[in-house]
Amino acid sequence: MEPVGRYYDGVVAARRFVTFALTRDATPAELVIADRDTREEIDRWPVDTLFEVTGLGDELRLGAADRPYGARLRVPAGEWSVALRDALPGLGRRSQLQRGQQRRILGGAVAALASVIAAYVFGVPLLADGVTRLVPPAWETRLGDGARLQIEGMLSNGLGFRSCQDQFAAGNIAIERFAADVMAETGSPFAPRVMVVRSPLTNAFALPGGQVYYFSGLLERTETADEFAGVLAHELGHVVHRHGMEMLIESSATGLLVGFVLGDMTNLSVAAAAGATLIDSRFSRDAEREADEFAAAAGNRLGFSPLALADLLERVAADDTMTRTLALLNTHPLTDERRAALEAVEVAPATMRPAFSAAEWQAIKSMC
Amino acid sequence: MFGDVRLSRVPAKFSGTRAELFWRLVGGYLLMVPTLGLYRFWVTTMKRQFYWHHTSIDGDALEYTGTPVQLLIGFLIALAVFLPLYIAFFYLSTQVGTVVVVGYGVVAALFWFLFGYASYRGRDFRLSRTLWRGIRFDQKGNAWAYATRQFLWSLLVVVTAGLAYPFMSADLWRYRYTNTWYGDRQFSFTGSWRTIAGPFYRAYATVAILVGAALGVGFLTEGRALALVPLLAIILGFGGFFYYRAREASRMFSEVRLGTAGLRVEIKARALAIQFAAYSGMLLVGFIIVGLVGFLVSLVVQGQFDFSSLAGIARAGWIGVALALGGYLVSLATLGLMAEVYLDCGYWMLVARGATITGIESLTSVRAGEEDKALAGEGLADALNVGSF
Repeated sequence: MEPVGRYYDGVVAARRFVTFALTRDATPAELVIADRDTREEIDRWPVDTLFEVTGLGDELRLGAADRPYGARLRVPAGEWSVALRDALPGLGRRSQLQRGQQRRILGGAVAALASVIAAYVFGVPLLADGVTRLVPPAWETRLGDGARLQIEGMLSNGLGFRSCQDQFAAGNIAIERFAADVMAETGSPFAPRVMVVRSPLTNAFALPGGQVYYFSGLLERTETADEFAGVLAHELGHVVHRHGMEMLIESSATGLLVGFVLGDMTNLSVAAAAGATLIDSRFSRDAEREADEFAAAAGNRLGFSPLALADLLERVAADDTMTRTLALLNTHPLTDERRAALEAVEVAPATMRPAFSAAEWQAIKSMC
Repeated sequence: MFGDVRLSRVPAKFSGTRAELFWRLVGGYLLMVPTLGLYRFWVTTMKRQFYWHHTSIDGDALEYTGTPVQLLIGFLIALAVFLPLYIAFFYLSTQVGTVVVVGYGVVAALFWFLFGYASYRGRDFRLSRTLWRGIRFDQKGNAWAYATRQFLWSLLVVVTAGLAYPFMSADLWRYRYTNTWYGDRQFSFTGSWRTIAGPFYRAYATVAILVGAALGVGFLTEGRALALVPLLAIILGFGGFFYYRAREASRMFSEVRLGTAGLRVEIKARALAIQFAAYSGMLLVGFIIVGLVGFLVSLVVQGQFDFSSLAGIARAGWIGVALALGGYLVSLATLGLMAEVYLDCGYWMLVARGATITGIESLTSVRAGEEDKALAGEGLADALNVGSF
């Protein structure tokens, strides 16, 4: 049986069945291609110009560097494709080189992407911090108003939050006084607006621009004035550090990165959003630590015990998992590390005094 | 002599199997993990090689000559287009009021416009890297002009509540095919809006009558019979969709000409429906397997943690994040695999196996066209996630 293959010259769209042979008459050796039926010689391809293109399985597809782009000799998988491959060791070397090159490009690209991710993970908190400083406070306040509408709609089935008491009630006056004390000397451009709202959720959160919400569900679980003060100071810490804004910048950058990895820059897919959320949670821990430090410093200055904050978190953590998923712990994960950091802040016993007077705390506790 | 041309009908063939594609994709997806997703350009190339090299016309298989690096470069170029858009998105997300609505509207319109551009460029990339009998295909024309056309047409379709769709479809098919070349020979498209008007307006009328009837029945029975209506709507809706999709593809492809050679495609709605059923079934099986494995893993993991201490909860939290991430990637891969193996591959099989070419002898005089090297990757098509082969 003689070798048979399909030949295309790359000039005209015609297929010819050909036979072929290697001749060593010339240097370098040549692959002689001849018509199978007429025996007429069609072309001679010098072996050092040959390259292999990906074919189907073990089929051998050859092209020649100095021939038209589409010139091909296709040898079906079988003894002749094997024999020709064996006879042309340069072919294997060349495709190996090509594969090596591909691997190097892939390796280089992966290394580049890995360093981008590393730079991102370590650098983005700094970047977000820097960019946040450039954002005008008025812009952030407006952003907070928009966020409030969204969150209110989400958490109250579109009904809007119901404040427990009007702003002139004794409890609210006490809270306002405390918030002003905490924010004094921080140089923050935001006026704190604390609101105790009716909601079964055991949570409290801050929004960009100075809004802080304390849910009645959490107030019920709050036992001492210091616990209440600790949580409030922690949330005000988020306001002072502008964590909401930082978070927005961070999560946008994360979305960009996840989009890059998944290849969907539009980021419209749920997949990308879910992936981004997973990464974002890492940054929230840093923000929690900063807010804790702020609360501890405020406790030190005003003389209440920052550790009470950890007590409350621990109490909520002891609740069953069902409530936990929607509770404080979800957004404020408690770790031993966090508690240790709070314990490390020493408060001189002589200056210890409750954050709220007994009457104030009574007024707050009975607000809802 | 005249009769000879008519008699020569050459079927296209497809020799690939779903199993082969499945295992190739599994291998590719696994490599995407250590390469942080960058291997997807290699997966795409491998996938196209699978489709192209298994498809043969008159005994000669197609060849895909594109490389992964071209796709990678195109993607990087597209990033440059996306950064400003992304920043615009970010700015909008911090705003309140009408500016958001207007802004998102503008950005969405821009995306839709770019989508048309990207799909045309993607087609250009694939065609110019497709060889048959040593001769390349090519897409000429202007991608911006195509995008503008598609954009304006789609506005009209929205305004006319979908009634203008056959006109848009015919116009876009014509633009695509009259600008498609095989070597030095230009394709043509002989269809018009009438080609699909029948199936389209029949499907349209069915849906309209259905919605009207549903509302009428709901009104007359004061909502009591409404439970039956969604079921009926789903059955008829799906039926109409498969019927229409099969008819549109068959009729439109059958209007494609290359000189005196012609294409004829016959796809059955039944085959499309079976394919979709297979996809749904396999997706269910896939997720049951993933769910069972996930459940077993979580059982094993849960037993090793102490949930009564804070440290225990924290540690379990980290493992939880790792498991969630793993589960998320596996689910994503399952979705992608099933869609690729059952929907995309299935559709390719139907088109390839349902296609015959008449007058193929006339193609032996086609000569290679000029080189078209202006394209670096598919760029936007990849970044916009334009779903295509």
